[in-house]
Amino acid sequence: MAWPWLALLAVFGAVRLSKGAAVIDAYALLSRPFWPGTAQSDWLRSAQDLDRQVRLQQLEADNRRLRGLLELDRAAGSAVRGAPVISRQAGGWWQQLVIGRGALQGVRSGDAVLAPGGLLGRVASVTPTTATVLLLTDSSSRIGVWVGRVRHHGLLVGVGTSRPVLRFIERDVGARPGDLVTTSPASTLLPPNLTIGVIQRVNEQAVPAPEAVVQLSAPVHAVDWVQVRRP
Amino acid sequence: MATALLVPVLALAAPAALQLDGVPPSWAVLWLLPWALADGPLSGAAAGLALALVLDGLHPGPLSQAPALGLLGWWWGRLGRQAPLIQRSFNLGLLALLGAAALGASLWLQQIWQGVGTAAALHTLLAQTLITALLAPMLCSLQLLLWRRLSPGNRGRTLQADR
Repeated sequence: MAWPWLALLAVFGAVRLSKGAAVIDAYALLSRPFWPGTAQSDWLRSAQDLDRQVRLQQLEADNRRLRGLLELDRAAGSAVRGAPVISRQAGGWWQQLVIGRGALQGVRSGDAVLAPGGLLGRVASVTPTTATVLLLTDSSSRIGVWVGRVRHHGLLVGVGTSRPVLRFIERDVGARPGDLVTTSPASTLLPPNLTIGVIQRVNEQAVPAPEAVVQLSAPVHAVDWVQVRRP
Repeated sequence: MATALLVPVLALAAPAALQLDGVPPSWAVLWLLPWALADGPLSGAAAGLALALVLDGLHPGPLSQAPALGLLGWWWGRLGRQAPLIQRSFNLGLLALLGAAALGASLWLQQIWQGVGTAAALHTLLAQTLITALLAPMLCSLQLLLWRRLSPGNRGRTLQADR
């Protein structure tokens, strides 16, 4: 008469020995309709985005305040003007944009021109209502840049292709593909800390100092409006 | 002559449909070729120089198209006067090909002279030469026709009568 009870005990023993596998699997099967869906990860991601944006704004405000204390920021400098792109010559012998704001609107030669994504180039010449922008890719473009991870300066030289070459000044820089290239944090010719691009390839054997190919982050073929910013 | 205004306008507008791998054709060559053929060496050289001065003003940087365009205008002007009438589209394409290649080579030489020459210039040169030569038979023969028709007493027509 005792053997059905013994069989039940054996089943419980099996459950115990298998660490409750059947029970947990059954629970998973039953609760499947109530599992957290993708909507939840979307909420989390948007909350994370909001958090990052707020933090970015706070850091920028903080940065401005500290720069003001260090007197790196000149008062007239932070004016930003939007300008439409009225002529785009990104291939060929000259790589330039013509934008529809000029000396009358306060654009001056040497101003930095930005697109969503980062720096595009500098204003080379102005007329009363237009300005010509020399792109970073033009073979006569040369600007000083900063690789933040390895803390080294370099010269970004246009070579006529869509990817300019970064010539370092020192020998052992240790830059790797993926490093971010920005304008120098102490730059006075250009606004500091602007994104320029990402190092794509490093040639350590180049003489006299290593060279790197930089993929620019601002898409010059897609921008219709740019920002002109005075350093 | 007013059509020459189209050259800087087209160079600035850079229509994306008429580009080869992002490189626009040389509009100056496409305008100068029929003009010089129809109007002679002096006028061709002067028009080439004038056009080059305007275009150089539109671009930043020290490169200049003036020497190449002046010489091309003079050469094409002599061709238009001496050789049998050039109106076959193949000949126009060939002349535009040579002209665009010479223009590109002069710009490349200037880049090398200034120490900024790169291999990318070869790509630009080839692409611009090809797209210019492809467009030349269509555009140049139309312009040639227009100018010969507008001024019936010009040299092209007298040449035709002589032969």
